[in-house]
Amino acid sequence: MNLHADKAESSPRRSFVKASLFFIGGLINTVIAVPLLGFAILPALRNKPRKFVVLGIVDLLKGSRYKKVNYTFQSKDGWVKTNKKRSVYVTDTGNGNFVVFSRVCSHLNCLVRWEESKRQFLCPCHGGVFDEEGDVVEGPPPKALERLPVKVEDGVLYVKET
Amino acid sequence: MKRKIVEFFEERIPLRSIEEHMKKPLPRHINWMFSLGAMALFLLVLQAATGAFLAIYYSPSPDHAYNSLTYIRNEVPFGNFIRGLHHWGASALVIVVFLHLLRVVIYDSYKAPRELTWLVGVLLLLVVLGFGFTGYLLPWDQKAYWATVVGAKIASTVPIIGDAVGKILRGGEEVGAVTLARFYAIHTIWLPWIVFGLVGLHLLLVRHLGSSGLPKNSPEDMDTGKPFYPNQLFEDGVAILILFSVLVAMALVVPVPTEEIADPTDASYDPRPEWYFLFLFQLLKYFEGPLEVFGTFVIPTVAILLLFLVPFLSRKERLPIRKRPVALTITSLSVLSLVSLTILGIRSPKLNSTATAAPETEQTEAPSSAGTEVFDFRLEEGD
Repeated sequence: MNLHADKAESSPRRSFVKASLFFIGGLINTVIAVPLLGFAILPALRNKPRKFVVLGIVDLLKGSRYKKVNYTFQSKDGWVKTNKKRSVYVTDTGNGNFVVFSRVCSHLNCLVRWEESKRQFLCPCHGGVFDEEGDVVEGPPPKALERLPVKVEDGVLYVKET
Repeated sequence: MKRKIVEFFEERIPLRSIEEHMKKPLPRHINWMFSLGAMALFLLVLQAATGAFLAIYYSPSPDHAYNSLTYIRNEVPFGNFIRGLHHWGASALVIVVFLHLLRVVIYDSYKAPRELTWLVGVLLLLVVLGFGFTGYLLPWDQKAYWATVVGAKIASTVPIIGDAVGKILRGGEEVGAVTLARFYAIHTIWLPWIVFGLVGLHLLLVRHLGSSGLPKNSPEDMDTGKPFYPNQLFEDGVAILILFSVLVAMALVVPVPTEEIADPTDASYDPRPEWYFLFLFQLLKYFEGPLEVFGTFVIPTVAILLLFLVPFLSRKERLPIRKRPVALTITSLSVLSLVSLTILGIRSPKLNSTATAAPETEQTEAPSSAGTEVFDFRLEEGD
């Protein structure tokens, strides 16, 4: 066998060898890249169903006005079963109805604080200000504070998981 | 004996050729600013070394990260020192890389044929900032947690694909165990490999094209300066020694700022990023409502793209900075904006100092408001 038989740059054998080389490289890369990307990305894109979780006992929240309530609920964070901590502002609007404001600023997710003297929610990061209805007064936030869906059952106030 | 050893290696490794490469003369009139690249390389190696050792004790999980760092600081011999070097080394790296970039601009070194060197350099700058962003989540303290919450939300504001980008960055809908694990992987495996490749390419290009020298250098000046080894390397060594001494002093004397463990419900914490991201923090305040995306996405993206394009925007011959009015203006304005935004960011008023804390305390003490912390029943998540 003569190894130097196909010296010409454009010989069919040379073209075949080049094409095969790219094919082998492309094949190996594709077969490994697709699962790797799926491995890294797909779990992150899963949407978790949101359930109602216990926020507190209605009797103890009666008359609340922009009361900061911290609560925890069990949830899974990847492979960890954990007690997630959340913080909201609860207002009793009478007749067993409650408004629950999420404290997550609609700008970049810092936690807003209720400022009683100004009757406003203030964001500690980029200066967002919301009024008592949760609407934007000034600063960068693009939309109002989120009001979390709530329900009352058997004297317990539930809030939609966030 | 020594001769025999040298001969043994000479027959197997191209020592002579390596020696020639090392002794290649540099352009004339090179000054200390040409040591900034070597200083950056030194800092990268220092970060790699201290980081590799910190990883021995560090545990990348929300339950253990903070405590593993407390252990490193308080119980591991030299723990504080090594952590300090890594912490202050990161800040020094950002500064040195930025100064290195400025030097290249001032001496017009990015012009043909060194465009690719510049492109790789800009990539390295971005990787260094990526190291910073992924690195300071790892202590899992308040600063770490909130900077990442905000950073991931910034990514989420990218038009169309933003939501997916944010989720991919976090590994889900919120910052948690999955986020910490992937930031750790990116910080300690992905970025180091990327940096290794990019630095190799950067050095290869620098060596292949030769040092750019100064705009005033004549063609004859280009290879009649001092040899790289030992003269230039000695000057690099002196610069590195000064830098290293400052870092050692800081690691010994200035405690690394330590914060409380990350708490997603803490009412009193005013989130602020690391100082080298404060300019962005401040910038974000100026874009309200629907304009938000300009601060989070448009301006940073355009700035980075322009940075990449710099060598292709001007095709003229190399000139000293004082003869390039446009470049001088843009550079001065950019540096001025970065510095002023950073200063404004540092001085940015905190909510903590206002009366906010008082009413909250009152509310907690009001009779109707026994917080739900007292109730201990929890919804079990059905698996």
